[in-house]
Amino acid sequence: MTYSLITTVALIRDTFREAFARKIFWGLFGLSTLMILFFLFLLKIDLVEGAVATVSLFGAASSRTRDVDSLVRGVYGGIATFLYTWGMFLAVFASAGLIPSVLEPGRIELLLSKPVSRTHILLGRYLGNVLVISCNVIFLVLGVWTILGVKTGIWSKTFLVSIATSIFIFAVLLSVVVLIGVLFESAALATMVTVGLMIMSPILAQTSTMLRLLSSEWSRQIWRTLYYALPKVYDLGKMTLDAIQSQTFSGYMPIWTSALFGAVMLSAALAIFARRDF
Amino acid sequence: MRILFLVQSEYAIETFDLTKIYRSRWTRREVRAVDGISLKVPRGTIFGLLGPNGAGKTTFVKSLLSAVHPTKGSAMIFGRDAKEPEARRPIGYLPENHRFPTYFTGNGMLDFYAALSGVESARRKKLIPELLALVGLEQWGSMRLGKYSKGMLQRVGLAQALIHSPSMLILDEPTDGVDPVGRRQIREILTRFEEKGVTIFINSHLLVEVEMFCREVAILHKGKVALSGTMHDLTAGKGYRLSVAQAPENLVNELRTKATSLAAKDGLVDFQFATRELVNEALDLVRAQHCEVEALAPTTSTLEEVFVRTVEK
Repeated sequence: MTYSLITTVALIRDTFREAFARKIFWGLFGLSTLMILFFLFLLKIDLVEGAVATVSLFGAASSRTRDVDSLVRGVYGGIATFLYTWGMFLAVFASAGLIPSVLEPGRIELLLSKPVSRTHILLGRYLGNVLVISCNVIFLVLGVWTILGVKTGIWSKTFLVSIATSIFIFAVLLSVVVLIGVLFESAALATMVTVGLMIMSPILAQTSTMLRLLSSEWSRQIWRTLYYALPKVYDLGKMTLDAIQSQTFSGYMPIWTSALFGAVMLSAALAIFARRDF
Repeated sequence: MRILFLVQSEYAIETFDLTKIYRSRWTRREVRAVDGISLKVPRGTIFGLLGPNGAGKTTFVKSLLSAVHPTKGSAMIFGRDAKEPEARRPIGYLPENHRFPTYFTGNGMLDFYAALSGVESARRKKLIPELLALVGLEQWGSMRLGKYSKGMLQRVGLAQALIHSPSMLILDEPTDGVDPVGRRQIREILTRFEEKGVTIFINSHLLVEVEMFCREVAILHKGKVALSGTMHDLTAGKGYRLSVAQAPENLVNELRTKATSLAAKDGLVDFQFATRELVNEALDLVRAQHCEVEALAPTTSTLEEVFVRTVEK
């Protein structure tokens, strides 16, 4: 194994170790497991001639006959929406401390004394953090997909897209956490800014309506700039939902603009980290 | 344990006009933490860096490790620019006030830092028990660091600095918090590594330890090197001072061969002798020439005295 690979693996393992020790990993894993158990034991679906005859939740049954496919897609949509809202919030909240912790005096000096570049240290930590969340997202989505697949016989692969989009949007949001962490070494501030961006996203996404309502050109320009510059958590969530429920795709713009935002944030974090004195 | 790294220069550390100026963000007030330090630390020596609090010792060490970026000047580690990450490969470092994450066990911590130094997995597995045994913590490898005492943390920290068989150890207060027996053990371990040709650079305020252990010393004061030299030269004042009045030239020349130093002032010549035998021989010669002895006194020049004299100038 090359020095570079040994170091990368060590940095990722360290992030996992810290996520385990701080109960971050187990907290998210427990929540994912609860959700999977919910689908496994509490949601009972009876199928008659390819349609849902009854759906029971906590034992209370509903006899409304529905198309199985639309029910499954509805559940998938609900899970994807959960992942994009509460899931991302929890992931950001849980991860926010993992970056400032390595910058603590007494710890960072030792890391910097090793023959590893600062870029490598920060990217290793970032990658480890993304992988911690990825494990939980994959576990949750695959778990729900498997259970619903077994119960209904429908194996909709489009739901699996939410694994990639959830990890992608988390990676983008984490770049903000990293930048704030490197600048201010504050987990609380990193969470506040990132959650703020998540809250702004659905508001900024109402671009066509707002551009009609705004009276001045400069305010319309500011709105447009903010919309295109900031990460599109809402648009990406909606895109995933459309892909799952109606198998439609509305274009790559939210993906590449969000990726660009993440790349800029991460580059800024790396540049600041490289220049800082510890 | 073998020393892995090929070294390119006769000096382990060379700094050229190394300067670090901190500026406050708003007032732009300047503090020169390190002020134009040019220092050479030969390979294989034990070098002590001394200085009062705020003298710039830690900033100097951090500049060597690129944890602090110098404002001016440069530093070389075994002939390589200290800014390059590869320059740090031959260094084992134990920081002052280190904070090892408490979620690590002793084994886990050593494994992590050895991996960051590029030690392969199979070799790490072999080295970790050896290093823990070396620092007397073989029973503690699977215990979390949160359970370790301060002295134990210092010892496991030393194991961490040694695990990749470095060519140079940079130790910031290595015996801080360690009991006298533990200190002695640490000194013995370091002596063993010195015998293998490892350069040891110690930043410490424990002058007695430094005097006992280091071959060369530099004293920093207000960011500058106030005094440097071999321990022998700096503490050469230890011995006996003989002051002779109106000594003829032939006597002075004869005593000069036995003395470590002499100074003449107002008709008095002060001779410094290293041993009691030498001063007695000198006294016989003075008496034989019927010269008068003005004073005879034992002198001690411990490192502490040298240090105090230097920083109080």
